[in-house]
Amino acid sequence: MFDNLINKSAAKSPWLFHINAGSCNGCDIELVAGLTPRYDAERLGFRLAGTPRHADIVVVTGPITAQIKDRVLRTIEQDPEPRCIVTMGSCPASGNVFKDGYPYAGPLSKYVDVDVDIAGCAAKPETVLEGLYQAAQILEQKRKAMKNKGGQI
Amino acid sequence: MFNWMWLFYILVFPGALFCFVGGTLLNGLDRKVYAKMQQRIGPPILQPFYDFMKLMGKETIIPYEANKPVFLGAPVVGFVALVTIMLLLPQFGFSAFGDINADMIVIIYLLTIPAASIIIGGAASGSPYAGVGISREMVSVISFELPLVMVLLAIGRKAGGDGVTFSMKAIADYQAANGAMICQWSMIPAALAMLLVVPCEVGCHPFDVAEAETEICEGPLVEYSGAPLGVFKLNYYVKQLVVSGLFAALFLGGKGTGIVAADAVIFYVECLVVTFFSMTLIRASLARLKVEQVFKFYWTVVAGLALVSLVLAWFGL
Repeated sequence: MFDNLINKSAAKSPWLFHINAGSCNGCDIELVAGLTPRYDAERLGFRLAGTPRHADIVVVTGPITAQIKDRVLRTIEQDPEPRCIVTMGSCPASGNVFKDGYPYAGPLSKYVDVDVDIAGCAAKPETVLEGLYQAAQILEQKRKAMKNKGGQI
Repeated sequence: MFNWMWLFYILVFPGALFCFVGGTLLNGLDRKVYAKMQQRIGPPILQPFYDFMKLMGKETIIPYEANKPVFLGAPVVGFVALVTIMLLLPQFGFSAFGDINADMIVIIYLLTIPAASIIIGGAASGSPYAGVGISREMVSVISFELPLVMVLLAIGRKAGGDGVTFSMKAIADYQAANGAMICQWSMIPAALAMLLVVPCEVGCHPFDVAEAETEICEGPLVEYSGAPLGVFKLNYYVKQLVVSGLFAALFLGGKGTGIVAADAVIFYVECLVVTFFSMTLIRASLARLKVEQVFKFYWTVVAGLALVSLVLAWFGL
């Protein structure tokens, strides 16, 4: 009865959780800039959650270092379904300038399915909002798919 | 003995449905006004409703360490307590269950149950962050209880004439006869104290030490996800309505129009005004206080304001 409403709401109220996987802090600042009054991500329903249990979208910034790889994967596992994983900036997608460094543990897509890649070094707040908006639409699709498969993905 | 109207009161107005719709709408308007104060567009007014529906559709993860029945039952207990308070609040001439002697004391106890449900739910989740959160929540409950009781005593004395009355109906009748309580000059300090008690009771921003999401990951709610978290969020919205409604019933009463529906609309508008002054305005202009600052502020400044009114009321002013 409420399924349609819940599916629509999934796209309208995406809560973010931000993981810094060894970032230079550039993308972290730009993500927060996207939430400030100038860009106002809250008009689309975005909100920064304090814990991965509350989040719908996990935003990963920074190259995945060998030290933090397991922690990132564990944090993503703590996020309840349906969830979206967004990489922000060039580092988690390709390794950027850290690619040949010894602590680099590979792109995030090697370990989990990434839904949206936001490009840029650092990504601009406009691009961040665009990418997060796309992730919110994917969230609605995932919720529909989850319902059709009886709560499983 | 059983009256079918009671079922309507409990389920529709002023019970569960009114609390749900009124609370989400109140929180949506609060967030919209808050956004306008920061010169941005802000979320749609139905945003809290979307948040609630989305959380209902999410997966519910129960941690291995948690005590399952307590973990899932705590938010529901809080919601039921809040709806019960709403049933006891008189709206001008109308009150759902008529004249209950000493219902003010019931309200004092029921107001701690939502906080207690957060404490119990957090303790059942078995997370260390929740442990820090519940100790902070306890401190904030102790902080606002003393001024709240003093405000209620002052009003009870004022409305009671010779003795002290603990009946909300008697207070509503007093205001219908003598005009709103806030117009009595000796009650203005108590009204200010109550305005400051409201945000701490709700757990609104400058006083949200228990759920500080930037410090301790939303404290007691850290392990909650899906539907139980949705009910906790709903509790927050309904708490805004109920506590501002308590202020409206205590200080902004009056004759009313005599029509229940019109009175309910006026009551809701009063709740909006109280929410604006006590929550939105303070939230937009202040940063979060530390635990000991909250405690000190409530036991000195706010309790002092309430004491002034209490003494004035006791001398019959």
